[in-house]
Order: sequence, then structure tokens, then C-alpha cells
Amino acid sequence: MSHPIIEAAAIDKFYQSYQALHGVSLTVAPGEFLALVGPSGCGKTSLLKILAGFEDPTSGDLMIEGKHMVGVPPSQRPTRMVFQKLALFPHKTVAENIGFPLKLAKVAHGEIDRRVREMLSLMHLKESYMNRLPAQLSGGEQQRVALARSMISKPSVLLLDEPLSALDAKLKKSLQAELKRLHRNLGTSFVHVTHDLEEAMMLADRICVMRAGHMLQVGTPEDIYYRPATTFVAGFIGETNLLPVMVAAHGGQGSKKWRFASPSIACADPVVDRTQSAPTVVDGDALMMLRPEMIHLLPEGTPDMPCAMTGIVDEYFVKGASIQYRVSVEGLAAPVILEVPGTLRRPADVGEPVRLGFRRLDAYLLPADPHAGVAA
Amino acid sequence: MKRLRKSWRDPALILAVAPAGLLMTAFFVVPLVMTALLSFQGTKYYRLVWTWNLDVWSDVFSQAHYWTIMGRTVWMSGLCVALCVILGLPIAYAMATRLKSLENHITILIVFAFLTDAVLKTFGWVLFLDRTGVFNGMLTLVGFPPGATDLLFGPGATMIGMVYNLLPYTIFTIYLSMVRIDRDLILAAYDAGASKTRTFFEVTLPLARPGIYAGAILVFVLSLGVFLEPKVMGGGTSPMAAELIRQSFETRVNWPLGAALTLVVIGIGMVSLGLAALVVRNRLQGQDLQGQGGQV
Repeated sequence: MSHPIIEAAAIDKFYQSYQALHGVSLTVAPGEFLALVGPSGCGKTSLLKILAGFEDPTSGDLMIEGKHMVGVPPSQRPTRMVFQKLALFPHKTVAENIGFPLKLAKVAHGEIDRRVREMLSLMHLKESYMNRLPAQLSGGEQQRVALARSMISKPSVLLLDEPLSALDAKLKKSLQAELKRLHRNLGTSFVHVTHDLEEAMMLADRICVMRAGHMLQVGTPEDIYYRPATTFVAGFIGETNLLPVMVAAHGGQGSKKWRFASPSIACADPVVDRTQSAPTVVDGDALMMLRPEMIHLLPEGTPDMPCAMTGIVDEYFVKGASIQYRVSVEGLAAPVILEVPGTLRRPADVGEPVRLGFRRLDAYLLPADPHAGVAA
Repeated sequence: MKRLRKSWRDPALILAVAPAGLLMTAFFVVPLVMTALLSFQGTKYYRLVWTWNLDVWSDVFSQAHYWTIMGRTVWMSGLCVALCVILGLPIAYAMATRLKSLENHITILIVFAFLTDAVLKTFGWVLFLDRTGVFNGMLTLVGFPPGATDLLFGPGATMIGMVYNLLPYTIFTIYLSMVRIDRDLILAAYDAGASKTRTFFEVTLPLARPGIYAGAILVFVLSLGVFLEPKVMGGGTSPMAAELIRQSFETRVNWPLGAALTLVVIGIGMVSLGLAALVVRNRLQGQDLQGQGGQV
């Protein structure tokens, strides 16, 4: 990997006595698309403000492009921000808005005009919009203008503060595609703050999950989805099943076995596989994570899968592409959630007993303690 | 449109508007019409004579003296507007930004100064600026000869008094438009590479324009009618329109002349405001037209 463009080391941020960030360390590679996700108040926006230079960390170090950035004002940083509410200047025309960073950099008039037109075509905006005021454009067009303004001076890092959160679902989808295309074409590093996990999974190379000022996990979308570090991460991204299990030593060479707390679930050969278990799992109580799409509904007459359980259908939801079932299994507090491909003929109705199966390889073991692996 | 027309026939609405409408008619429209009628009458032996003629008006338009005073009034008012805006801007800016935590305290102080009787404050200035007053005393203390300045009883002193009494209007209107500016716009300017000064001129000032215009109009209109400051601080050496009107009514007991001069001042005020509105609207329309030009 080439030298990182952003290196944040042990950043703490206090607002009076409230600690917004706890020792956050993060690197971003050149050209990488990193998503910062977490519930509101998790510190993701504070971190972005520190990257942009609107705030300084209380302690810790920040380097961008190999230069120390603590105390450097935003205007002197190679970063540009796209604001949540866009912050387009209402009294400036579209062309003046987009060209503003160049005007400040004392770029010649003709050159500004040329590059503004270039940005307009890159953002699929009509040139006739140049002399309009932002208020005369639609929401989606304003987004594009805001993006154009932040990209025109070719920053090495683009910081996006949930700029898509206010858009309706359809427009959001098209702008997400646009963002991905832009990122691919420009090769700029993107740091994208969002609370929309689907968006983060779709766009980002790596996702950083935050909670209460702590970084819980940084990894690829696959890591976050299939190998979450904690039950919080597992529960934050999509729906999931967490089945209580007991982990115990078994034989020599540190090999371990697990068994379900509920007798209604059984698995052949329940050995703890290192690649199928979070490193923080210890002997005793643990949780087995199973994504809904990994549990199969087994029609009568089909053979059992390596892991199997039986239950009674509680409720189902037809979602179109899939049907979600909630099956209550004896010995489990919460119903098991599973998703089967949608069909015209529903495989089971409410109250029907069903047989469920999954593969051991699809399960992932998590520590039962939700705070495991998080420094207090 | 239909709805709007119908609303005029709504008896409840008419009833609700009636008291205010009556009040305005009785105490604003009627006196104004009476003033207009009065200006076409004459006087004889200090008595009003009800004869329709244009004598007073020809007198008004032939005497340069009146127009010198009118010209001075407009000039002083314009200068007062400029000074109030220039002095009010930094105070409003500070209140809306740096001194945000002290905002309430500053507002209370200004309101107190504002509510204190203008006569009292104006006489306070007289004591302060007097040749043997506090200001000269302080100058003497640092080594100036006694009576170094003689500001009092001249147009300069009048201007000090006017600016002092009218400054709160611009501070408040500009402050109100400045606090409404989205903080993200300021951050966006910094982020784009602007210094604080540049951000002020590129973002804060243009967006505070509505407040500046509103404050300027208020101060201008109030300046045209200023009476106390030229009298007390200016010492009557360079009277303004209000003093001229007072003299016509009281000293010369020439009510038709006073009425005509009153109408002249109202006319000047309305024409000035009309011109200002035209300039502002042209500016906004220019922006609008540019915007719509894109659609063609």
C-alpha cells in the first residue's frame, strides 16, 4: 500500500467535559473511498470536522499528505467539504459558486470559466445553468453544484457530511451512482459520513463503524457484514440472528468447541474455526451470528443441512424479491429471522411447523459482551 | 385570486381590520389631507384666511433660503445614514459572531441607551462637548491647551447627536440579518480557501444587505424629521427642515407656509425612498434576469 493520505493517531476530542472522540486512529489511502458510519452522536461528524479543520483535536495527531495538520486552518488544507445542507451561497450564481475556490486562489478569469464549464459537463449540468441562482435549481441539481464546487480545485481529499440524507429515495440512488462514478474518474480520496449503512456498503472501499466516540471496526463491506467485531456492528448493519452458544476447550492444541444453549438446534462437528470467529471470543457465553439469507427453509422430503432446527412460523413479510419469515424456536428468546427468495407460492404459512437449516461455514461467532474489544 | 377577492367580503375580516383602519384614517390620512388643503390658504395679521390660492406655494418655490435648508437636511440625512451604517456594521457583526455569549447583555445596554429620553442624552452631549466640558477637560489633561476643540453649536455637533441617537436602528436591523446567516456558509467559504476578511466581504456582507437597506431607510426617514439635535447641539446656526417648519407654524404663525413646507419634506422623503427602492429592485432584478437568462 502506498503512503496513506490521511493519518489520524489517537485523536481525543472534548467539548467542555463531554468527550466526543476516544482515541480514534485511522488511515486513508490515496484514492480510497472510506465511509464513516454510526448512529447520531457517535462522533463521525466531529471526526470529519477535525479532518476539515473546523475543529482541532484536544489531543492526538493528524497528518494529511504527510504534513501535520493540527492548528492549520481549513483554507490551508488540501481537503474540501460537501456540507449536509450543501451551503451553496444563495447570492452567487451557479458559476460563481462553482468557481469560488478558484477565484480565491487568484486563477485567471478565462481559466475559471473554462474549468467551471468542465465541471458542469462532468456533473451533467447544463451550461445554461451558469447564471442561475442556486434557489432556481432542483434539489438534485443543487447537490451536483455543491459537488462541483468542492471538486473544482482538485483537492486530494473530499469530505462528505451526509450530503445525500435529505434527498428522496430515487434521487438518492442516482446520486449514489454518480458519487461512485466521480470517485472512480477522479481518483480523489473520499471520506463519506453517513448513517445509511446500505449507502456505505454500496459506495465504500472500507467502512469505519463508530459508536459513542469509539471506533468499533474498520474493514471492507464484506468484513463488516460477514465478520463484524461486535454484536453492535452486527446489529447495526442489516438484520441478523444472534443465537446463544457456549464455547469450551476441546482436546489439545487450543482447539475449541461450541454447543447451542437451546436443545432445539444441533450442528454436526461444532468446532470453533478461527476464520469463523471474532478474535475476542472467550470460553463461556458467546453468540452465533447468522444473516437471515443464510438460513434456509427446508421443504418436506429434502435432506437435513449440517446444522438444523425446527420451529413454528410466527409471521412473514412479502418484500418482493424475498419473503422474510420469523420463526419461533423453542429455547430461543427472539424469533429466528430468515429470508427466502420470493416466489408466487409462499413456502409456509403462519402457525405451520417448519424445518430450518444452515451451513456451519456461514455462521460467525461473536463475544456475548457487547463492549468486548472496546477500550472504555 | 378568487380566494383573495372573496376574503374582502368576509365580514369577520372587515370587522377585525376596522379599528386599525379607523385609527389610521382619523389620525394619519385626515391630518395629511388637512395639511394639503391648508397649504392653499393664506394669512392676514397672523390669522388664517380661508381663500384658495397658490401664494404660499409660489413663495416656497421662489425663496432660495428654504431650499438651502432642504438641501442641508437631505445632505445631513444622507451623511447620517452613511455614518450609522459604517459604525453599525462592525458592532452588529461582533454581536452576531465574536460576542455571541454577551449578545443579551449588549442588547440590553443598547435598548437602555435607546429608551433613555433623547432630550436628556442630547443635553448630556452638550455638557460633554462644551468648551469647559468633560471632553475638553480630558484633552487638557493630556496636554492640549484649554478649549482645544469647539465642536459644539455647529453642523458637526448636530451630526454627532443624530448619529448617536439613530445608530441603534442600523445596529439592530443589520444584526438581525446577520444572525440569520447559516453558519455553514461561513465554514464553506473558509473551506474554499477564503480568509476571514474575504469571507466577510464575499458572504457575510452581501447576505446582510436586507438589514443594511432596512436600517438605512429607517435612519434616513428619521433624519429628515430631526429637530432636537440641530436645535440643542447645532445651536440653531444651521437649522434643518423640522426647525424651519416649527418656525413657520409658531414664530411666524404662517400655517399655510408650514403646511406647504411639511408637504415638501414628505415629498423629498418619498422621492428619495422611491429612488432607493428602484436602485435596490434593479439590483435584485438584475440578479433575477441573469438567472432567467439561463432558461432561454
